[in-house]
Amino acid sequence: MENQTFYYDNKIVKNFAYATLFWGVIGMVVGLLLALQFIWPALSFGIPYTTFGRIRPIHTNAVIFAFVGNGMFTGIYYSLQRLCKARMFNDLLSKINFWGWQLIIVFAALTFAFGITTGKEYAELEWPIDLLVAVIWLVFGANMIGTIIKRRTQHIYVAIWFYIATFVTITVLHVTNSLAIPVNIFKSYPIYAGVQDALVQWWYGHNAVAFFLTTPFLGLMYYFLPKAANRPIYSYRLSIVHFWALIFLYIWAGPHHLLYSALPGWAQSLGVVFSVMLIAPSWGGMVNGLLTLRGAWDRVREDPVLKFMVVAVTAYGMSTFEGPMMSTKTVNAISHFTDWTVGHAHIGALGWNGFLTFAVLYYLIPKMFQTQLFSRKLANLHFWVGTLGIIFYAVPLYWGAITQASMWKEFTADGFLKYPNFLETVTQLQPMYATRAIGGSLYIVGILLGVYNLILTIKAGKFVPEEAASAPALVKTAVKRESGEGMHRWLERRPVQFILFALVAILIGGLIEIVPLYLVKTNIPTIASVKPYTPLELQGRDIYVREGCYTCHSQEVRPFRSETERYGEYSKAGEYVYDHPFQWGSKRNGPDLSREGVVSGRQYKPNSWHYNHMLNPQRLNEQSIMPVYKWLISDDLDLTTTAKKIRVMQFLGVPYPEGYDKIANEELMKQAKGIADDLKSQGIQVEPGKEIIAMIAYLQRLGVDVHAAGAVNPSPVK
Amino acid sequence: MEMNGHNTVEKDELTGDILLSGHESDNIRELDNNLPKWWVWLFIITIIYAVVYIFVFDVIKVAPYQQEEWTKEMAAAGTLAPGQHAPAAAGLIAFTDKANLDAGKEIWLKSCKICHLEGGQGLVGPNLTDKFSLHGCGYADVVNVITIGVPEKGMISWKTQLTDLQIKQVASFVMTLMGTNPPNPKAPQGDPCK
Repeated sequence: MENQTFYYDNKIVKNFAYATLFWGVIGMVVGLLLALQFIWPALSFGIPYTTFGRIRPIHTNAVIFAFVGNGMFTGIYYSLQRLCKARMFNDLLSKINFWGWQLIIVFAALTFAFGITTGKEYAELEWPIDLLVAVIWLVFGANMIGTIIKRRTQHIYVAIWFYIATFVTITVLHVTNSLAIPVNIFKSYPIYAGVQDALVQWWYGHNAVAFFLTTPFLGLMYYFLPKAANRPIYSYRLSIVHFWALIFLYIWAGPHHLLYSALPGWAQSLGVVFSVMLIAPSWGGMVNGLLTLRGAWDRVREDPVLKFMVVAVTAYGMSTFEGPMMSTKTVNAISHFTDWTVGHAHIGALGWNGFLTFAVLYYLIPKMFQTQLFSRKLANLHFWVGTLGIIFYAVPLYWGAITQASMWKEFTADGFLKYPNFLETVTQLQPMYATRAIGGSLYIVGILLGVYNLILTIKAGKFVPEEAASAPALVKTAVKRESGEGMHRWLERRPVQFILFALVAILIGGLIEIVPLYLVKTNIPTIASVKPYTPLELQGRDIYVREGCYTCHSQEVRPFRSETERYGEYSKAGEYVYDHPFQWGSKRNGPDLSREGVVSGRQYKPNSWHYNHMLNPQRLNEQSIMPVYKWLISDDLDLTTTAKKIRVMQFLGVPYPEGYDKIANEELMKQAKGIADDLKSQGIQVEPGKEIIAMIAYLQRLGVDVHAAGAVNPSPVK
Repeated sequence: MEMNGHNTVEKDELTGDILLSGHESDNIRELDNNLPKWWVWLFIITIIYAVVYIFVFDVIKVAPYQQEEWTKEMAAAGTLAPGQHAPAAAGLIAFTDKANLDAGKEIWLKSCKICHLEGGQGLVGPNLTDKFSLHGCGYADVVNVITIGVPEKGMISWKTQLTDLQIKQVASFVMTLMGTNPPNPKAPQGDPCK
């Protein structure tokens, strides 16, 4: 067979690599600013755009979708062409993928800073950008599948299986979780409410970890690790078993983010058991990676690329063991809402994703520039500084998490909470937060060393934008299995069937968990006293979402004595039915707020307290780490959206009376005047049309309805 | 490498493991190794765990769901559950010893100053240093306000968070604030003390 000559597109790989470095630095510096705000809350600078609640999504999205995302595209665009022995399907699609993705990142950073957010973690982008993400993602998929179809190799290699699973699943997740009804171009309400929204969101959130941070990187590992080590993959059979087990089981595990919440017990049970069953399939990737290095361990000592890979794969193994442990109810009762989750996430992000990304960059940049890495020594220094950074980041957070959880749960001999003031448990963690910031800084120093090293490598080399390669054309083979051909071997040469199989594998778990929550009424028992928010409260709630309050405050009281004593009634599914979106949160840097408005409750604060607290939290509590929210006091509430918001809510099934949208602002002002008058009686002059009034109205509503239902908690058996 | 008639298989030089023929992607080869035994067992054990877990929790339902766990936890706490405070009678005498006042001050700093400010000059809550009071000036009045609260005005009941002794300690500390002159006092509220 005659060889065909063709050219690999290195330029697109180079672009993605540069973007990876650029966004990596930015995303991590924003992370450091967040870490420092725990120590010096004044670093929110008293302006909206740099408060914790707004820049935390910038950090998470920048690291996940900008740094890791571009890193993933870098590796896929490089390896896919070589594994398929073909240039990318279409250069224009490659360019649209690249520039479109960067545009999304810029939009994301800007909108989050301006408080334009859906308030759903890792899915904060508002609907127009969500649409753009969907289009660009499909462009990527079309380009990838096109390349696979016109490949010159008979079978698709395991790395490509993982790329396919990534594309298929992220498409399904993104579309399903982003379904929303727009109010205007900057604001929408998700079609799901409360418990249903929580389940869909964490089905998405968990599987974003699985299919954006895990599967594409396993694919990269399967290409770059054997290439860098020049060793064969340890076991083809293990590749098959762990791939299918991984993608089938992963999709079920989302409810482990909602243990001890108002999610029905059966769904929580599924979250637990599928997480535990994930240990072996996850470790399959680690085992296949590390055992591939048999016979090459002497080279690991010298080659920084392999060093980064070994730590990356080990970090992957650690977090995929830790994850299932955190998914058991026993551990989750302690770890949830604490810094344990943050530590866990960073072992994955800094160790697995960060280190593997740099291994890939250290590997492919010298290759594309026909040179050697500028300095091995510098890369080794990066390796050690980075590794120390990860340790200094994670260890204090684990320590802090256990400290804080113990303080939350400790009772005195008299039966009182030992630390009834939440803030005490935060102040206690200050040394841990300081050490964490040092760890993060070390990691950033490592990244900067890497960037410097790569820039000098690039300067020393000569870029090959079009890399010539040759291979014989693909010979047409029988559609049916040939005699002696294994089932999977057949599938590897039928990519379309492969994609369909993968789609079915990932759809099963999601459908079985999500659909019953809609169709079976008993899953969400209603509470008669739970009524829709008033227009003022609804506007206040949207400000709560805008400011990202959920990044520090949960709205989910778990059924533990230590929580019902601290906050009040534990959370019920029926109390959230009008919450578009749900705001349960995932981390308590401050206390839970879901019983904030219950006058006879433990958390209640008068209107004037909220006013003073937003104006200057440190005046009331020197140790408080809450940012200042003084613009809520000076800014006017936008009344032009009220009517439309009511109509969208009605469309979503919230039972406002017919025509309520027309009188909504009138009702709003009536309630606002009441609050302004109360503040006035406390010597505080503020017009009823200010944002602070709406915010106070919302906070004072929290928990009121459930409390009005009387003793909803079953009374303890005496 | 060739299989043509001789059945020779190609082996990896370093490990001696069998290389799969025809498995070559951009020069990456794959070995014909079996799944590691310990890995298979790990997988099987987790699957057994899953089946047993679902059976116990969701089929025969002998293990408790979270609501039941909570009920049991509360029952175990039993009479320790807070909130058993008798109202203070007039004529009750405040602590004046250092130990109790220091304990009272500690509680003050943790729980009270976020509304009354550190010196008791008042902000959200009233000024406690002047000669006026909304709910009585006597020690017993202060104990009762802390215990029962004035929820409609934002003063919560502390009986679920503080013991009887702790309430008396902090009330005694409050008594020592009267007549002090902290900076930026809130305007007087309520009736003058006799």
